[in-house]
Amino acid sequence: MHNVEAKERVSMQLHYDVSQHYYQEATLLQDREYAAWLETMVAKDIHYWMPVVERRYAKDKRQEPTPYEMAILNDDYDEVKQRVERLGTGTVWMEDPPSSIRYLITNVEAFHTDKEDELVVLSNFVVIRNRAQLEHSEHVGCRRDLLRKVGDSFQVARRKITLDARVTEDKNLYIFF
Amino acid sequence: MIDMDKLVDIEKSTQSKQVFWDQDIYDRELERIFGRCWLFLAHESQLEKPGDFFSTKMGEDGVIVARHTDGTLKAFVNSCTHRGNSVCTADSGNTRSFVCNYHGWVYGTDGSLVDVPLKEKCYHDDIDMEAMSLPSIRVESYRGFVFGCFDESAPSLADFLGDWGWYLDTWMVGAGEGAELIGPPMKSILKCNWKVPAENFVGDGYHVGWTHASALEMLGGELGGLAGNRANMPFDELGIQVTTRHGHGFGVIDHAAIGIHEKRDGYAKFLQETQPVVAEKLGEPRAKLYDGHWNCTTFPNCSFLYGTNIFKVWHPRGPHEIEVWSWVIVHKDMDDETKREVVKQAVRSFGTAGTLESDDGDNMVNSTRNNQGRHTRSNTMDSRMGVGHEGPHPDYPGIIGSSFIGETSYRGFYRFYQEMMSAPSWDEIRAKDEEWADCFPNKDYWKDRLAAKAKQGDA
Repeated sequence: MHNVEAKERVSMQLHYDVSQHYYQEATLLQDREYAAWLETMVAKDIHYWMPVVERRYAKDKRQEPTPYEMAILNDDYDEVKQRVERLGTGTVWMEDPPSSIRYLITNVEAFHTDKEDELVVLSNFVVIRNRAQLEHSEHVGCRRDLLRKVGDSFQVARRKITLDARVTEDKNLYIFF
Repeated sequence: MIDMDKLVDIEKSTQSKQVFWDQDIYDRELERIFGRCWLFLAHESQLEKPGDFFSTKMGEDGVIVARHTDGTLKAFVNSCTHRGNSVCTADSGNTRSFVCNYHGWVYGTDGSLVDVPLKEKCYHDDIDMEAMSLPSIRVESYRGFVFGCFDESAPSLADFLGDWGWYLDTWMVGAGEGAELIGPPMKSILKCNWKVPAENFVGDGYHVGWTHASALEMLGGELGGLAGNRANMPFDELGIQVTTRHGHGFGVIDHAAIGIHEKRDGYAKFLQETQPVVAEKLGEPRAKLYDGHWNCTTFPNCSFLYGTNIFKVWHPRGPHEIEVWSWVIVHKDMDDETKREVVKQAVRSFGTAGTLESDDGDNMVNSTRNNQGRHTRSNTMDSRMGVGHEGPHPDYPGIIGSSFIGETSYRGFYRFYQEMMSAPSWDEIRAKDEEWADCFPNKDYWKDRLAAKAKQGDA
């Protein structure tokens, strides 16, 4: 489901548009405009996935994780929506006062696919959460998106998020990546 | 000088806040609790073939558990007997041997030293291979759940679990082939004392409505009424709390097993179909628990939610930090689609990014961190909810509290904590096997309550 083949690299213009889209996405998330993010930037057929990646020896021949296995995030649209709506209930005590979450999105590489309106896009991220007085956490990793052209903009239809750390150095990962 | 009678006041149901902070208390916990209790290692389903191994921890000690070539399970310390380096750096896998990266010493899947480079030329064959094996650890399984123990004088795993095993059988035996764990575990760091989540899981039905208000509101369903403690509920009729000899305990909300699962058709059907078999196999009292939602801790640091089906180990990292490892429980007889959905739902609620998990962490960190304050730390914590509303029950072993919201199993957890921290040997602990429940003095609580109920029924 996340294995759509990446073909040739996109043009400079399209690469610019994709990069701008990611910056806009980061801005919405930083501003806690989660409902707007969901509405405009997330496709209804999204699969939003963060697998658990074990530390294994190089000779280990077991398969890479699939969405049918243990995963930190493994959401369809309604499930992402519920995450968004929970933040709007007013009873998420941990988010009052709210966290500051900063997104640094880099190394954007975009590729055409067999479908004209869909791109495979790779990116790296550093997500930094500051909250309370001294609480600080950083999450570094990469994303592999299937990004769909919708009108003048894009929507993400598959997002595979891979964290570099085996052990999450944070009390939770209730963060949109 | 650590005075355990002062740190845990059983009569007043209080604990000193020092137990969440002080280094000397923590050091004694590593010695007397993590050094002497059975600690969860892995599930046998992760270790099926000879050579399968899983790398884990017991307290702060790195440990390998492996299926040896003779088919038995072995556990040993993950530290080379030469200069102490790790002999395994992967999470899991299958191997014929463990080779130290430092000088290349080779150990078998039973921890025995099988090869030493330059043994003839430089050691002049003067090395006792057997004596230089990796220190072995007692390993025993209960219904496929593998535990390790450093203490040769500790009781067997089955005896350590005691009456708790009777309860565990409800789902570990269940209707068919029992249960297994799905991994690999999620791992995260929480800056709290290990006992904060252990006590929360053993007996905190109280926090559910408030801490998890937002998630419960989103969920609705059976548990929606708990959100914000708004609903007027007859709590004494909705479930019980249990504590047992060695501090293991749980709270159960009747008929709420699937309450946290949103996509639940397969799971609901499975429970419905198998419940009569559980009744036949294990009797009505356990069949009644079978579709309940349980919050549990196997003393000291292995907690799980049966129903929601998340299974956690709190590995201590000093007095103020833990590593949280999370698996998912599934019944072996479930079809693959139901298993997948149970895994997904369990992780959605109590995985690292879970909607309910996210509510708990902050409470646990602050309940620990505040004790950095010397004045704060000089006070006590309270766990007196429901004192006296508990006692022995005709159908259920251990001490049974009146409701799933109460602190019976907190008191039971700290009762045994104090005993374990005070007793110099397991013999002294065994000597109290008959009198452990004396601190729950209302022996007739359930007799009276059930008689009153029967009378009410007659009228």
